[in-house]
Amino acid sequence: MSATTIETPAPAISYLTDGFTLRSWLLTTDHKRIALLYLGTITIFFFIGGIAAALIRYNLIVPEGMIASAETYNRLFTMHGVVMVWFFLIPAVPVTLGNFVVPLMLGARDLAFPKLNLASWYLFVVAGIVAVYSLLVGGVDTGWTFYTPLTTEYSKGHVVATVVAIFIAGFSSIATGLNFIVTIHRLRAPGMTWYRMPVFLWSLYATSVILVLATPVLAMTLILLVFERIFHIGVFDPAIGGDPLLFQHLFWFYSHPAVYVMILPGFGVISEIIPAFSRKRIFGYKFIVWCSISIAVISFLVWGHHMFVAGTSLYSALVFSILSYMVAVPSAIKVFNWIGTMHKGFIRFDAPMLYAVGFIGLFTIGGLTGLFVAALAADVHLTQTYFVVAHFHYVMVGGMVSAFFAGLHYWWPKITGRMYPEMWGRAGALIIFIGFNLTFFPQFILGYLGMPRRYHSYPPEFEVLNVLSSAGATILAAGYLLPLAYLTWSLFHGERAPANPWSATGLEWTTQSPPFTENFDETPMVTDPPYNYPPFEVVRGHV
Amino acid sequence: MSEAHLTNEFQYSSAGHRAETAISGMWLFLATEVLFFGALLLSWIYCRHWNQAGFDAGARQTQLAIGTINTVILVTSSLVYSTGLAFMEAGNTHRLIQCCAIAWGLGVAFLILKFGIEWHRDFAEHLFPGQDFAISGSLGGGARLFFVFYFVSTALHGLHMIVGLILVGWIILRARRGEFSFIYFTPVVVVGLYWSFVDIVWILLYPLIYLVGRGS
Amino acid sequence: MVAWGLLLVLLAAEFGASFLPLARSARPCVLIPAVFMVVVVGTAFMQVKLGPTVVRLFAVAALLWLSILLGLGSLDPMTRTNYSVRAENLR
Repeated sequence: MSATTIETPAPAISYLTDGFTLRSWLLTTDHKRIALLYLGTITIFFFIGGIAAALIRYNLIVPEGMIASAETYNRLFTMHGVVMVWFFLIPAVPVTLGNFVVPLMLGARDLAFPKLNLASWYLFVVAGIVAVYSLLVGGVDTGWTFYTPLTTEYSKGHVVATVVAIFIAGFSSIATGLNFIVTIHRLRAPGMTWYRMPVFLWSLYATSVILVLATPVLAMTLILLVFERIFHIGVFDPAIGGDPLLFQHLFWFYSHPAVYVMILPGFGVISEIIPAFSRKRIFGYKFIVWCSISIAVISFLVWGHHMFVAGTSLYSALVFSILSYMVAVPSAIKVFNWIGTMHKGFIRFDAPMLYAVGFIGLFTIGGLTGLFVAALAADVHLTQTYFVVAHFHYVMVGGMVSAFFAGLHYWWPKITGRMYPEMWGRAGALIIFIGFNLTFFPQFILGYLGMPRRYHSYPPEFEVLNVLSSAGATILAAGYLLPLAYLTWSLFHGERAPANPWSATGLEWTTQSPPFTENFDETPMVTDPPYNYPPFEVVRGHV
Repeated sequence: MSEAHLTNEFQYSSAGHRAETAISGMWLFLATEVLFFGALLLSWIYCRHWNQAGFDAGARQTQLAIGTINTVILVTSSLVYSTGLAFMEAGNTHRLIQCCAIAWGLGVAFLILKFGIEWHRDFAEHLFPGQDFAISGSLGGGARLFFVFYFVSTALHGLHMIVGLILVGWIILRARRGEFSFIYFTPVVVVGLYWSFVDIVWILLYPLIYLVGRGS
Repeated sequence: MVAWGLLLVLLAAEFGASFLPLARSARPCVLIPAVFMVVVVGTAFMQVKLGPTVVRLFAVAALLWLSILLGLGSLDPMTRTNYSVRAENLR
């Protein structure tokens, strides 16, 4: 803090003051307001999914299960999966940070199709209402993967209602992805060539490619699933000549790329934060951007690795195993590039950077353990155990949720015009990191020892590790509640933010915090390469 | 709302830029539709692969005459619409409206033939894969699956046709209100893309339903 | 108009090809004229070559991803041994 405190005046006009009626919010086509509408909605879903997680961990404190009914437990982990996947992780960064930042980063006034953007939020809300309805009437017990024939023949849960909710949410995803792709192609500011775009935009482009091409397959899969359940059409029923694996192929053709939808925006966020907080150009820009695109492509080639023990042919399994090893390469390249960016940089450990550094470590662990399960022989033992659960939570929660929080803190000044309290931000990052590791590291060991996933009770020898995991979950929960508290506080009492509190590069920092509705006074002209920080010798000289 | 429209127009460098953006958006949407129907194609591949004899036995029960006539109707409808578009590019709104009306009429003819006549006959012959399905025995399972594919794919295609008819009707209404000129007719192009795409889906469904299983 | 005539010719070819004595597993070759019909519609009616460059990118991407879905997706059934559990086979 400098000796002379200069009060940053609140901007007289911003997108937040441009209309105070409910109508001006609910009928807005301003991408920034839509981003906030989405932020509210996904926060609610995050906490619904989080409550389910808390109850899961509560159940697993004792070997016989704290919750008496296995059926209830099944419904809980299904609810956790469905809500977290479709109503939190897949939308999270694209619809909140993406919607807000993409036009600003491009130097545009809005996305290419603003009304479609609003429609996508309404679709999401309708999907959410149907999902909440299905939860309130009892939910479904099939796991978020909806495998047949449990879903089509035997489940007594509300399969159709849940599936309809996901179907509608899929249209929201497609609309968002379509909007981003067309916007990035068509609405770049003059002078912003593809190679002058920040990596976040490339990442969202890659994410949108997946959203647009994978989600329609899910739509058709869900239609067939509903028809099979209601009308018993037989396409997944071997007694008639159908194939239950057809469902799995179709489902995973979407759901595997979907996990890259979840992580790619996170990569983009980290790629913005690391250069900003190392005050250094990103290392290997072209490598990172093309790795994002190649992840988007290769992610479509690996879905069979979810089906190694399902009964697919050995040749098919071999091909998918080899391809799965290939998909890890671009992610690894990115990790090296981020570390290369930090090397000899002027690093500040503000909250976004703490989350980002945590991301690198946790994502690396998660990604590497993915390779364990991509090996056919190892997967025979590890599949459907807690090893897989730990693997995907490391990448999705340790990775993606950390990245989401990193981005939220990084762009919070821009979005709200307020600074969050830095000490609380750092505390939150540390608590989350500790709680996360305590929750999920024991699960790698549990899986290795053979504890199956989705079981409501377990043999007594696994008790200690489960108790550790549940204790960690309590800390993790506290870690997630903390930002909810201090970020909300900062809306009313936080320090006013200047246009560029981090002294970062990027067009979004050239306009006021928060921006006014049209984003820019006049269309910006771009002449510099991205991350145009001075060479590190100059920066270091100022220490 | 109108303000957003204005600011949006501001960010396009020209009218051509704006038109191309809309066209790109529709093409991207059509790409999603390719994958949507693609999943159905994969199901066809699986069902036929596991039940070749039964699947083809079912296919032989389809009404080749109506299917072929419908294909000609749709192809002609696509031709007529794009002729209308060519007229519009020259500024002739009157001819555009006529062509759209003919394309619309052909689309309605398709729907009547398909759902009014063909489906009616299929139900009468007990080809709906319900309780009293016509084919039983070892070929029954495969034939059932064929007709599942038949009814699901024609229903989805029909839904897309209905949406297409609504869109073409909307173009006719806007054209009659004088909203198009040789300078601005982007919605006509965009709807034409969708209409031709629905045609493409049928071009692929036609052999899958009527021709592949008909041999030997 | 030329395009329309070409489409009808292809349709006739396809119709005729369906009467050829092809083996059951080779029957899908009847689809080849249909693929050409799709190309004709895409170029003549949808003007894929005249629009902005990006539409060609989208069209190629759609076809590429469709072939991944159908190709890699068919790998499993084509190489798997099926042990039929159809009701009539279990007796």
